[in-house]
Formats: sequence, structure tokens, C-alpha cells
Amino acid sequence: MSGGERKVKRPRAQGWEEAGGEFYQESYPGCEADLDSMHQNPSNIATLLPSKQNRTATYSKKYDTKGTLRRRTASRSQCHNTIRRPSMAPVSQAATDLGALLPDLSENLSNEERTWEEIMQIKAMPVSMAQKKEHKAKLQSQTKLRLQGIEQLKWQRRKMWQQLKKSWSETLAKMDIWRLSMKEVEGDFGTGVVAYFLFIKWLMLLNLGICLLMVVFIVLPALLLKPAEQPQECNLSSNVSGSGSIECCSAKYANSSSEAENIVIQIVQGRGIVEHTQAFYGIYPNVVLDLNSSAGLYYDMPLAYISVALTFMLISLAAIVKSAAKGFKERLVEGEGQFYQYCNIIFSSWDFCINNEKSANIKHKAIYYEIKSSLESERIEEERITRSKEERFKLFSVRILVNVAVIVLITGALYLIYAVFDFSARTQNEDFIAKNELLRLLFEFLPSLCVVGLNLIIPIVLGMMVSLERYSPVLVIRMTLMRTVLLRLSSLGVVLLSFYRLFKCDPCKSEGPDENCKAPACWETHVGQQFYKLMLVDFLSHIAVTFIVNLPRGQLAKYSRNSVITYLCEQQFDLPKHVLDVVYIQTLCWLGSFFAPVLPLLAFVIFFFMFYIKKFACLVNSKPSTIPYRASRSNSLFMAVLLLSFVVMILPLGYTIAEWQPSRSCGPFRGQTTVWSVIVRTFLSSPLWLQHIVFFFSTAGFAVPAFVTLVLCLYYFYAVSAANKHMVIVLKNQLVLEGRDKQFLLHRLSTIIKQQQEHHKAMRAAAQSVQMNSTDISSST
Amino acid sequence: MGQGKSQFTEEELQDYQDLTYFTKKEVLYAHQKFKALAPERVGHNKNAKLPMSKILLYPELKVNPFGDRICHAFSSSHDGDCTFEDFLDMMSVFSDAAPKSVKAEHAFRIFDFDGDDMLGETDLHQVVERLTGSQRLSESDMKNLIQNILDEADLDEDGALSFAEFEHIIDKSSDFCSTFRIRL
Repeated sequence: MSGGERKVKRPRAQGWEEAGGEFYQESYPGCEADLDSMHQNPSNIATLLPSKQNRTATYSKKYDTKGTLRRRTASRSQCHNTIRRPSMAPVSQAATDLGALLPDLSENLSNEERTWEEIMQIKAMPVSMAQKKEHKAKLQSQTKLRLQGIEQLKWQRRKMWQQLKKSWSETLAKMDIWRLSMKEVEGDFGTGVVAYFLFIKWLMLLNLGICLLMVVFIVLPALLLKPAEQPQECNLSSNVSGSGSIECCSAKYANSSSEAENIVIQIVQGRGIVEHTQAFYGIYPNVVLDLNSSAGLYYDMPLAYISVALTFMLISLAAIVKSAAKGFKERLVEGEGQFYQYCNIIFSSWDFCINNEKSANIKHKAIYYEIKSSLESERIEEERITRSKEERFKLFSVRILVNVAVIVLITGALYLIYAVFDFSARTQNEDFIAKNELLRLLFEFLPSLCVVGLNLIIPIVLGMMVSLERYSPVLVIRMTLMRTVLLRLSSLGVVLLSFYRLFKCDPCKSEGPDENCKAPACWETHVGQQFYKLMLVDFLSHIAVTFIVNLPRGQLAKYSRNSVITYLCEQQFDLPKHVLDVVYIQTLCWLGSFFAPVLPLLAFVIFFFMFYIKKFACLVNSKPSTIPYRASRSNSLFMAVLLLSFVVMILPLGYTIAEWQPSRSCGPFRGQTTVWSVIVRTFLSSPLWLQHIVFFFSTAGFAVPAFVTLVLCLYYFYAVSAANKHMVIVLKNQLVLEGRDKQFLLHRLSTIIKQQQEHHKAMRAAAQSVQMNSTDISSST
Repeated sequence: MGQGKSQFTEEELQDYQDLTYFTKKEVLYAHQKFKALAPERVGHNKNAKLPMSKILLYPELKVNPFGDRICHAFSSSHDGDCTFEDFLDMMSVFSDAAPKSVKAEHAFRIFDFDGDDMLGETDLHQVVERLTGSQRLSESDMKNLIQNILDEADLDEDGALSFAEFEHIIDKSSDFCSTFRIRL
């Protein structure tokens, strides 16, 4: 072929071109019939090119016999398969049926494993079931070698593995809850929103895992095992420690607050009876538990507690990173996504899951607007550049003003939270409150209510403000999201800060009780209770907003003809907001789990109900959004927000564990200077060789070479990726060049064919005239 | 599901499991769905051929702008009428387990209206028209749009998208797999 190409490229005498034409006809004898149609439109010749030929050849030949010239794409993926299958013998190009695409059996008898592999591949073929069945039967009936020895074993193992995977996925499918709900949501709202519900499910399962971990390693041991040795009784008369000793503080805490209260209120507040259960930090013993004393097996509770805390943090991080990495990879492949903006709209924007007329109409509209806006965005871009100086100045000053306003707003909100916490802590023990149960309950929940209320109201204000700034729609979503995240996280920060101020003093000192110290006897439990309450209030607020506020709104919008009411009441499913709702719950759970092991369980339950609440909010209250949420985008958005919350949350928690002195009156760490010192103690009691190894890791002798190696690795991968990037550009250019060459050649070819045909025609005409002449002559003679 | 079971032999189910991306249970479930489209015909002949109009009763296909194209692409008789096996093939391709390449293969056939193995301007025109539904793009917008698509994807500049070019686009699109999918 290459020789022919070179010849055609050079415009030469007629002889060459004839040769080229002959060459052409020789190599594709089967296509002569098509030629006439070909040179009307040179681009049709392209279908004869080898690159396209080999994926149509088999099929068209098969159907040529029946007289159909319709080219089908059927055999295409067979070729793909053969490429994908490394074990395949060279495939003969003149394959005439499906079987011939398989390795030549006479030369290379296939063995069981390969046959099986091929049967597994059949499903990827785009042919009808009857043909697939036929193919499978053929594969099964042909003679094949039996595998022997290790090979047999290996194959068996592979087969087993495959079967195991299948049955595993089947069991998973059986346990797959909410499948129908997902389908329902998908039918109305498309896959982008379903990704959100999958995210809730994912969080729920994550919390279930954490919860099981907690139960198995700290709750059950604390419930079932007895302390190895009786703890010392508080002895006030002993001079050594006095009333400030750990034992006395513990005793004081254990005997505190058993006031007669309504059991429901106790549960809701996490106080009273509930406080002294395994649900909160305070009850856990600080001693070694007796696992099997005769065998000398003990369970070190403090160590278990801190290890479980660290483990669930690591598990969460690993789960997030794994999920995020998947999205990140997709984004990398998409990389030059914006180059395929229009193709993406055309080929992958229709959700094939949509199953009702209404949503289909909305989708049609959404796609229409997306096309429109993409076409117009170029124009807007132009407009942006040509925006006059004055206008630009005005816009910038508006943006700066809005940003300042946002900062003021958030700071104000934070101060409010701080003040309320302070107020609540100060008035907790005052008389008029202590007497009235309801009032006390209100004051108890005041801080939580304040945080949740601000979280509800301020985002609405932020949403109004962002519309003043005239950002592009994508940026609007991001800006609102960022500001709301900032608000939520910093409000948590303020909560922590107010705790910090409150707990600065030690309520159980040896010198006797300090009048000014308002710190609770067991601050860890107190923190746990606060988070417990925050979560509860947050959850209740979602129920209230969804069923009491938004449900009537949605119904009004549906049945009212008044355009003003419709405008006010109509809600779209605003994905970022709902994402934040669940991420916030998860953040609370992470922050509080160390202080209240019940929180993962609570989060699990909340997420379970959240699914239904959000489903209701989605299906009943709102109508499908006109903003197209892409499944891949939204998933990476969820993970990014979650990761951000995780990182922000780990900082204060890490600080608490590493630096802060635990309560002396409760919990597994009473008497330690910090929580971390348990780890240090354990480390120091480990075998000497282990200590030596770990010490070696921290010396300069190890650290410097390790650092250098890491930097070198980093540089290496950087260089590889840079080279790959360059290669992509080169290959793309090459592809374009080849494409042009091909076009050029095809045009040349078509002119040649035309010329040749004219030549033939002329020859034929000449021959005819000669014949006519000769007949004339013969007749005349 | 008990009733569906009686209609298939174990062997047939094994065949279907090997040749599609479904498990046996899902095959039976698919058959239930198929039966629901025309219970009177599928009742005594499990592999009855249903006309395209019946297949298009399936909710997802009914509102899909490419419903008839899908039927054509999977119909073994090439006229849009589908037997249960064709239907099973269809659902298998649209299932979660089917890889991107298989999906792309069929998507190409669905979008290739004139069957010339290339997505030419007329094909793209039809695709866009079906996508936007009752809203119509203006002539210039349409032209502009098709030109933009070709600019992006037509690497060899022959004025049409070949399968290789189409597959390249699909490879780069992370959304394709999640949208080109029908939950059974």
C-alpha cells in the first residue's frame, strides 16, 4: 500500500495513474460494484480504507451473499476483542465468519482455559443472541486440550474466583437497599441527583462500619469485662492525695447528677442516666480489664480507646481518598474536557434512565438551554473583554462590597454563637431557670438552636447576595458553596473555642472546689453531649424545614395560578445545599465521636432517615432543576467538601488528643497528662528492638536519605507526566496530519478513478466506432 | 418470579448468564418486565416477537428521543421488532456491568441514522433535533453547533465522525457511562 501511496502522491503521467487505479482495484476486488457510487462523492471512498475495511469486512461479506450492501458495524468489536486478547493467535484478515476470528485451531489447539475465556468475551459482541448462542455452542463443542497440573489448578482457581465474585455481587445486590428509590429519583431527576443519594448511602455505611468498630472494641469490653484489680476507694483521710485525687474526683463525678427528670428529656439531652452509660466518654474505665487472668491476658482500655479513635479516623480518610481518587482520575482523563464540550452535550447529556413524560420535557428544555448557553458563552466572553472601564469598575466595587458584607455577616453570626454559648453556660445554674423544667430545656438547647438556625438563615442571604455579583453560573454555585462551608465550619470552630474558654480551669482540685470555675466535672462528656444535641437539633430542623415549611410551599406552587406565589414557592432541588447538610452531620459525628461513642450510631440512624427526608424533599417538594448536574462532577464535589471538613475537623481534635489534659474525674485517660501519653507509654513498654527500629526511623541517618529518595521519585514522576503530556500533543498533531494526508490522497484517488473511467469510456467508444466501421466495411463488401 | 422460572430451562438460563452481563435472577426479572409489555403474547411463547410499538411501551424507552433507534439497533430482524432475546441484549448493554466500549459500540449504531457507518452532518442534525424536542434551534445555531462538534471531534477532517473518533470522545467523557444506562 505504501508504494502505491507514494506513486499517487506524485502527479505524473497517465501511466502512473492507471497503475494506481489498477492497484486499487486489485486490492479491493470485492468492492468494484461500489465504485460507481464512490466517485460521485470522494469521501465515500473513505469507507474502503483498510482502517475501516477490517471492521466491516467480515460482516459485509457475510451479507454480500444475500445481496445486502448495508454495511454494519457488527464485527467491529470482534476486532477490538482480538486486540484486547493477548493470547490470541494472529487473526486472518479474510475471516468469513465468527468462528474464523478465533485462533486457527488446527495449528494451535485451544485449551479449556482459553475457550472459557472466549465464552466470557462473547457477551461484548454486538450481535444477536441467536448468533451468540451459536458461537458459544461452537466453542464448547470443539476439541480442546485439557489443562494439566499447575495450569489446571490455576485455571480452576480463576474460575472459582470469577464465580465467587459473581455470587458476591449477587448477594450484594440482594442487600442493596433503596434500589427502587434510586430508580424513582433517577427517573425524575437524572443521574446527577442520584449520585447525591448514593453519597448519603455511602456515608451511612461508613458510619455503620465505624459504629461496629466502636461496639466491638470499646463498648462490649467495657460492658462485659471486669477490671483486673479493684480500683482504690476514695479515701479523704489519706494525706497523699486528698480530695483532688483521681479516685475522689471519679467518685464525685459518678455520684453527681442523678436528679429525678423525665426519662425522655434525659435521653434527648444525653444527661442523667444516659450520661453514665457507654454512650459517653465519662464511664469508660482507666484500668486494664481482665480478659483471662489465668492466662495472663488483659485488655488495656485506654489504649483500646485511643486506638479505635485513630483507626476510625484513618478508615474515614482512606474511604474518602479512595472515592475522591476515582473522581480525580476521571477528571484527569477528561483533562481536556472543555475541548469536548459540545460532544459531551450531544452524546452524553440525555439520561437514558428518565422514564416519564414530565421529566423528559424538562430534560429536553435543559439540553436546549445548555446548547444555547454554550453557543452564547463565546459571545459573553467577548462581551466581558470589551466591557467598558466604567462598568468594570462598578462591577468590581460591587463585588468587593459584597465580599465585605459577607465577611461582616459571618463574623456577626460567629459572635452571636459565641455570646449565646457564653450566656448559656453562665445562666445554667441560676435559680429561676433551674426551677422551670421547660425553661431549662430551652436554655440547654439554646446554643444548638442558635447554630442550626444561623446555618439555615444565612445561606439564604448569601444566595441573594451572590446574585448581585454577576458571576457565571458555575462560579455562583462554587462561591455560595465556599461561603456556606466557611460559615458552617467556623461556627463549629467558635463552639470549640467557647469550650476551650470554659474548660480552662480544673473543677476538681486538691485545694477544694473553685467558685469561679464553671467547668463541668467531666468536660469530655460535656463536649460529647453538646455534639449529641447539635446533631439532634440539626436533624429535627431538617424534618421541620422539609415537612412544615417546604411541603406547603411546594403544594402552593403546584396548585396556585398566581405567578407571584408560584415564583416565591417554587423550589428547585439545590444540590450544593443538600450536600452541605449531610456533610455537616458527618463532620459533627467525626468531631464528637471521640467524646461520645454513641455518635456514629446516631449518625447511622440519622442518615437512614435523611435518605427518606431528602427523597421527599426531592420528589415531592421540588421540581427538577434546570441546572444540569453531572454525575461525575457532583461526586467529586461531594468528596472535596467532605475532605475539606475532615481536614478542618482533624486539627482541633488532634490538638485535644496531643496537648490537652484529660479530665481527672472520668474517662479512660484520667490521671494522664495527655491522651497521647498512653501511646507513648505503650511504646516504651514494647520490646527493645522495636523501639530501636522506630528510633532509627526518626534519626537523620534515615530521614535525609528517605527525603532525598522521595524528592527524586517525585521528580521522576513529574518528568514522566510532562513527557506524556508532550507525547499526547505530538500524537494528536500526527493524527491531524495523517487525517489531512488521507483526505488529500482520497481526493487524488477519486480524480484518478474518474480520469481512468473517462479513459475507458473513450477507449470503448473508439473501439465501438472501429467495430462499427469494420461492420460497415464488411457489410459494404 | 416463580412463574417466570417455569418458562426457562436451567440450560437456557446458564446461556443467558454467560452471554449477557446479567445474573440468572436478573434474566428472570428482565423477562418479567418483558412479559409486562404484552402479557397476552409472551404468556405462551416466552420468546415472542413484539412489534416496536409494544417495546416502546417500556417507560424509559417511551420518553427516550432515540427509542425507535434503540429498537432498530437491537432488533435481530432489523425492523425494530424485538424478541425477548433482543430485549435481553438491550438491557444487558444498558446495564451497569457493561463496559464503556460495548456501550459506545451500540451508541454509535443508535446515532447512525442512515447506517453509513459514519456520523455525518445529517446524523448529527437529527440527534440534536431529537435531543431538544419541541424546542427548535435556529438554523444558524444548528449550523454553528454542528460545526463546533466537528471541530472538536473530527480529527481527520472528513466532515463526519467515524467510530474511532466517536469512541475517542466517549473515552474522554466520564458522564457517558452513567447516562447511557437503564436500571432494570
